[in-house]
Formats: sequence, structure tokens, C-alpha cells
Amino acid sequence: MKKSAANILREYGPFPGAERVNGVTFDGEHVWFASGDKLNALDPASGEVVRSIEVASHAGTAFDGEFLYQIAEDVIHKIDPKTGRILSTIPAPGNGGDSGLAWAEGTLWVGQHRGRKIHQIDPETGKILRTIESNRVVTGVTWVDGQLWHGTWEGDDSDVRRIDPETGEVLERLDMPEGTGVSGLESDGGDCFFCGGGGSGKIRAVRRPG
Amino acid sequence: MDSLITAAARALATGDALGALKRVALRDDAPALALRGIAMAQLGDLVRAKALLKSAARAFGPREAVARARCVVAEAEIALVSRDLTWPPKALDAARKVLDAHGDKVNAAHAGNVAIRRLVLIGGLDEAERALGALDPTPLPPALRAAHELVAAGIAVRRLQTRAAHSALDRARLAARAADIPALTAEVEAAALVLDTPAARLMSRGQERPLLLAAVEELLSSGTLVVDACRHVVWNAGTAVSLATRPVLFALARTLAEAWPGDVARGTLIARAFRGKHADESHRARLRVEIGRLRAELRGLVEVSATKRGFALSPRGPQEIAVLAPLVEGPHGAVLAFLADGEAWSSSALAIALGASPRTVQRALDSLAGEGKVQSLGRGRARRWMSPPLSGFPTILLLPGPLPSD
Repeated sequence: MKKSAANILREYGPFPGAERVNGVTFDGEHVWFASGDKLNALDPASGEVVRSIEVASHAGTAFDGEFLYQIAEDVIHKIDPKTGRILSTIPAPGNGGDSGLAWAEGTLWVGQHRGRKIHQIDPETGKILRTIESNRVVTGVTWVDGQLWHGTWEGDDSDVRRIDPETGEVLERLDMPEGTGVSGLESDGGDCFFCGGGGSGKIRAVRRPG
Repeated sequence: MDSLITAAARALATGDALGALKRVALRDDAPALALRGIAMAQLGDLVRAKALLKSAARAFGPREAVARARCVVAEAEIALVSRDLTWPPKALDAARKVLDAHGDKVNAAHAGNVAIRRLVLIGGLDEAERALGALDPTPLPPALRAAHELVAAGIAVRRLQTRAAHSALDRARLAARAADIPALTAEVEAAALVLDTPAARLMSRGQERPLLLAAVEELLSSGTLVVDACRHVVWNAGTAVSLATRPVLFALARTLAEAWPGDVARGTLIARAFRGKHADESHRARLRVEIGRLRAELRGLVEVSATKRGFALSPRGPQEIAVLAPLVEGPHGAVLAFLADGEAWSSSALAIALGASPRTVQRALDSLAGEGKVQSLGRGRARRWMSPPLSGFPTILLLPGPLPSD
């Protein structure tokens, strides 16, 4: 396993009216983050929040190229980012213990926080297709270039790690500085991760090692 | 945090304890237990709340020291508000150190505040005052700041430092308003009443009038010789002679002071000091002995001189003499007067101080406890009595957020 200190490129926030960051995703232009009762679109270049959608947003956020997915309590809402309307709702696999959401290969990947698991589910029905075990609490999930990464945060310790999607084995680990937690993880498709910072209300851009 | 925990924590933060419970009622993981505990505390079920927080503290993993410490602080605050004094203060101190070491200054300061409130509650005023001086309230958010200032005010009131009490209450008022918690504002207003309500009666030169606490403070520093029937102390310009455990001497001093500048007949002194027994030669002999003792005690403050029919106080200069009496007299009033010093008294010490039988004192304490005017802690011989801390600290809970990642 490769181990290194996370290289924080930039910090955003905290943003007025958004006490926490519960989940993050990236639509190619904006970073969407879940702040509890809203989904907010952040322009990563200017650092400004340009739009908000009123919707319950308690954990992970994902984007499938067209629609947003947002965990609220024990369900996952599918939301049209243009209108802000909830299009459909499926049960979350962790029954409310869910934390972290990613879209990849036509399916949703859902972190189960204290269950230390990542579930792959059918985005139409919520049916669990497969489950990967982690040895840490899962606080964010993302796929990039065929790599599965997830965030962990226990007490003062937090990191972003790449795991083998078949076995759950940890392949690489980026340790976050002490007191800097990861709640929500998304890649920008390139060499940058966006990490939610929980109650700090911040979002941090972290370099993905090449 | 996971989705439902986040949702439940949001509900709790907005005061929707039932909404929080609804979301995590069936979960037994550590954060859920902690949230259920806080929600139950806010709903008033303190027994259940304590049990839940205890299991939450156990359930958090070894990496989650901060979350565990916050649970311990919440548990301690609930114990305090439910007047459970068996709760171990060492655990609170350990939690405070963990929070401090992990940079959670707010909750560390809150833990310190809870510890001081506990000291005030058990009548450890000196220790509470020291701890208060050592605590930096700067990191405290408004609600906790208000609680902190209330404790400072409570101690200042006990110490008869009304100016300090006034400014602490002013700061508490501002903080409570900033916190925007109506119950807290009400607590501050209730506490402030103590400064605007007569605290004692002044008896001087045959006249009597009620005194506010500030006037009491002024009186004690005015150079007047004060025979203080609230604390059974004789004061003069910063010097205090306690007669708390010498009831006969105190009764003599008070009787003489009430009569000043006149004198008091021997028969009257005997009746007041020896409980209305008929005066005979043996009583006269005993009176002479007790007056001798009183002279010795008050040497340096005031003379006790013999007159044709009895005795009189003679000040050593142009000094006034006055009696400071509790608002309510009688056996219950006297018990309350002693407890007004904020210290913890055993009933046997009270019996000695009052010159009454232990049974009489016990009956008075039981009836006062029934009216909520006194409270006890401990059992058997270790049992101690005190007056409730009038403007001591808020009774509403200001629990720390229990969860990590806040």
C-alpha cells in the first residue's frame, strides 16, 4: 500500500447559511454540496455559491451526467438540477446509516458509515447488487479512471483511500492533516478530489496522485 | 456522520427532540445512543438520558475520544441538574482534559463550567471561586457564557459583592439575549431579582427597616459595628468575629446591640440567652461568666460595660451599632439564615450553632426541605444541608453536541 500526506490544493467556505458539508459531487462545471436542507452549486474557479436547490440533504451526493442523487434520512432522491424537482425516490441500502454516494458504470455506490461497507445498488429500485467491506467507517465514495476511492473519518483521523473494488484491499492512502475530516468525496475526473469537511463547513480540493 | 444521524442532529439543534428520536429510536450504535440521550434529556427524562449517554460513551471506539468525552460532559451536566451528587467529578475532569487536548476549547470550557457549578452546588465556594478565576470564558458561545456569568453572579452574591454580582448579571443578560433562548433569559431575570429584593432587616436605635443586598454590603464596610443575626457574626470594618457555634454569646451580643445606646437589665439578658428561665442567683453567676467570655471574644471591636441594672455595649469612638436580622425569624428562619452562607452544614453543626436540640433542627430541616427551601446531599452522618443556590446557575440543560465531525 502506498501512503502519503494529502496535498490540499485549495479550501472553499465555510459558506453562509450552510453549517455543514454532508456530501459533494461534481457536474463538470460546479461542485454540488449537501448542507442539510439544501444542495448548493459552487463555482470552483470563483469559490462562490451560484445556486441552491431546497431539498433535504443529510449525506452523500452524486451526479450521473444528467441528474443529481441525494441521500436524505433513509432514502435516496433523484433530483433534476434544472428544476430542483425530485423525480423519484428509492430506499437507501444502509437504512439511514448511509454516508457517501457515487455514480459509476450505470449504478450507484453507497457508503454505509458504521457498517464499514460500500454497497453497489440499482439506481432504479435500490436493490443491492454487491457489497464491499472496508475496515474503516465510510464517509464518502467516488470512482475515477476505474479506481474506487473512499473517505474515512474516525475521531481525529481521516484519510482518502483507494481500495480494490473486488477484495476491499487498501491500495493507496492519503492521510488528511489532523482535525481535517472528510465527509463526502468526489473526483473532478482529473487529478483533483473535492472533500467535504463536515461541521467545519469547508470543502477542500485534494490532489489525486498520478 | 451518516444520513439519519445528520438528520436527527439537525432536528435536535432546532429543538425538535421528538423529531430526532423518531429518526434514531431503533438504533443502538454510538452516535444514535448519544443523540437519543440528549433528546431524552431535553424531554426531561434525565434518568433514561443518563443511561443512554453512558452506553454511548462506552460504544464510541478508541479513535473517538472527543465524542466519548462530550458524552461524559453531557452526563455530568444531567447529573448536576438532577442533583445527583454521586456522579464522579474525576471523570468530568478527565473528559475536560481530553477535549482540551483535542482542541475542542468550547466544550472543554463548558466542562470546566459544569465542574464549577457542581462546586457551588455542594457548597465549595472557595474552590469554586478559584476554579472560576482559572477558567477562560472567551471560547464560550452565548448560552454557555450566560451560564458562566450566572455562576459568577451566584458566588458574588454569597460573598456579598453586589457590584461584581450586578456586572456578572448584566453580562449574563446580554449573553442570554444573544443566545436567544427564552428559558435562559428568564433564568437570568429570576437570578437578578435577588439583588432587588430585601435580603435582611436592619435594627438600629430602636428602628427597623428592610435592606437590599447592596445596602447590606455597604453597611458591613461602613464602620458600623454590626451584629449579624443572618450569619451569627459580629462585624466591624472588615474584621469578623464568628459566634456561630456560641449561641449564648450571640444572643447576649444581639440583645445588647438591639438596646444600644441603652443598657439591658440582667433579667432580660438571662431570659434571652438562657431560654426564658427564671432568673436566680445561679443564673446571675452564669451571666457574669458569659459576659466575661463575650468581652474576650469582642475585644478590639467593642466594650461590654456593666451598668447599674445590667450591661451595655460601649463603642470605642463615634461608632454606630446595629443588628442585621434575617427577614424571617423563628427556628426555621434561623436555620435558613445559617444556610445563607452557601456552605454545606451538617445538622449537628446547625444544632450547635442554633443552640437547639438535634431533633428540633432536624424537624426544621425536614419542613424546609418539604418547601424546597433547603436541600441535602449525602446520607447518614455524612449528610449535609444547604440552601438552593438562589442565583447559582441555570436549571436548563446546555448540553454539548455529542457527536464528532462537528
